[in-house]
Amino acid sequence: MTQTLIHRHTRLSIFMHWFNAGCWIFLLLTGLGLIRNDDLQPFPFWPTMLRTVFGGGGNLLLAHELIGITWAGGFLLYGIIRLKSDVFPFIRDIFTVDIRRDFLWLITKGIQMTLGYKLLGVVAEKFDFNPKIPDQGFYNIGQKIFAIPAVFGGMVIAASGIVMILSQTGNADTEWVQWAIVIHFITVGLVFAGLLIHVFMASIAAGEKPAFISMFTGTVPEDYARHHHKLWLDEFKKS
Amino acid sequence: MNKQLAMVIDSSLCIDCKACTLACKIENNVPDGYWRNWVKRSEPDFTNPEWMNHRTPLHFQPGGCMHCEAPTCVQACPTGATYKDDAKDGAIKVDPKLCIGCGSCIPACPYGARYKHPTKNIVDKCDYCEKRRERGELPACVITCPTKARVFGDINDPNSDAALLLKKNQSIRITNKESDTKPNMYYLSATAPLNWPVKAKMPDAIQLWKLVGPLIWGVVGLNALGVLVMLGKQLLITDKEPDTDISRKETRRS
Repeated sequence: MTQTLIHRHTRLSIFMHWFNAGCWIFLLLTGLGLIRNDDLQPFPFWPTMLRTVFGGGGNLLLAHELIGITWAGGFLLYGIIRLKSDVFPFIRDIFTVDIRRDFLWLITKGIQMTLGYKLLGVVAEKFDFNPKIPDQGFYNIGQKIFAIPAVFGGMVIAASGIVMILSQTGNADTEWVQWAIVIHFITVGLVFAGLLIHVFMASIAAGEKPAFISMFTGTVPEDYARHHHKLWLDEFKKS
Repeated sequence: MNKQLAMVIDSSLCIDCKACTLACKIENNVPDGYWRNWVKRSEPDFTNPEWMNHRTPLHFQPGGCMHCEAPTCVQACPTGATYKDDAKDGAIKVDPKLCIGCGSCIPACPYGARYKHPTKNIVDKCDYCEKRRERGELPACVITCPTKARVFGDINDPNSDAALLLKKNQSIRITNKESDTKPNMYYLSATAPLNWPVKAKMPDAIQLWKLVGPLIWGVVGLNALGVLVMLGKQLLITDKEPDTDISRKETRRS
C-alpha cells in the first residue's frame, strides 16, 4: 500500500534536531555530574562516577563547556543562515494560537491521553461538548506550549552558561555568576521536565510513529498529516 | 586513622614580625592586596592599670585558613571544586581546574580566608603549601617563624609535634557562635582576639537553589511519572479512536 508522502522537514532542520538531541543528552549528563554538594545533589554517585570516567572534575567541566559552546554556536549559526526561511516562520507559528480551538484541543487530547477515547466520549456527553479532537496546524498547541519555553529556555541556558565562562576570564561579577549557576540549573530542570513529554509523545506514544520517522526522512504520509495536522495539510495543498 | 593536618599555635610566642605572611606571599605568588594568612592583634586595654607595669597590653595571633572539620565553604560550593581532602591529608583544597570563580565560598568562610585571584579568576586560599609538602618541606609560614609560634603536623599521628603540643597543653578553637565550623587550628589557651570571626553567609543564589532544588527535581519526577502512566495506559488498555464521522454524528446536537 503506497501512500503520498508530504514534505515536512528540511535536511538541515533534521540535522539540527539530532544535533540538539545529542548535545542535550551529553550536556545534561555532564551537567548533572558537575553538581557535587550534599544539599544540591540527590544522586551523589553520578558526579563521583563521571569524574572517574573523565579523569577529574576539571576535564568534566571542560567537556561540558566545549560541547555547550558548540551547541549554542551551532544554533546561532543556524539562526543566522536560516533566519527568514526557518526562524521567523517557526516563531510566528509557535506564537499563533486559536484560543477556542486550541483550548478544546488541550481538554479533549488531555482526557484522551489519560483516560482514553471511551471515557472522553462519556465526559463529552456529560459536559456537552464535541469529543472530536480539533484539527491542528503544523504544530499542535501541546507542541507550541513546549516549544515556547524550550526556545526561551534554551536562550536562558546559553546566556547563563556564557556568564559562567566569562567568570573564568575575569569578566563577570561573582554575584552574577552565582545567579547564573542557579538559573542554569532551574531552566534546564524545567525544560527537561517538558522534554520527557516531548520524547514520549514523539517516539513512544501510539500513532506517532510517522512523526518519529519523519525526523529522519523529512516526510510524513498524507493520512498522518490529515489526522494530526489537518490545517497545515490544507495550507500545504493550497500552495 | 586518616591523616588530619592541623596547626597548633602558641600565640604568646608571636612577636608580630609578620615573616609568616611575607613568606606565604612569596611562596604562593599571592597578588598585591591579597593575603593567604595573617597576624591579628588584640585591642590594648588601657583602662587596666597593669599596662603601666611593663607588661605588654598587646597580644598577637597568627592565623590563616583553619581547614575546618565542618567547612561552610564546602557547603557553599555547588561543584565540589572546594573540598576537604580526607583521602589524602584532611586539608581544605580548591581544584583550580574545576573552580570557575563564582565566589560562593568567599562569604561562607567565617574567617575571611578566601579571595578571588585577580588574574587566575579562581578562588585562592592557604593549602598548607602543598607543593612544599610534596617535597617533604614544612609550609612556608611554619619554617619561617623565628619564634616557632606555628607548629604544623598530622594531629592524628600521636608522635607528631602538633599532636604532642596539643596533648600537653589546653587549647581552644576560635569560632563564631552562630557558625562553628570546627576549625583544625588550635590555639594554646589565653589567645586574643577571640571575637573576630563572622557568621558564615551562604550567597542568596545558593540559598535559593537549596530551597527550590527539591521543587525542580519534583517537577521532573512528576513528569516522568506522568510519562510512565501514559505508557502503562498505552500498553495495558486498547484504546481505539472511534471513527470521527460517527462520533460527529452521535454528538450532533440540534
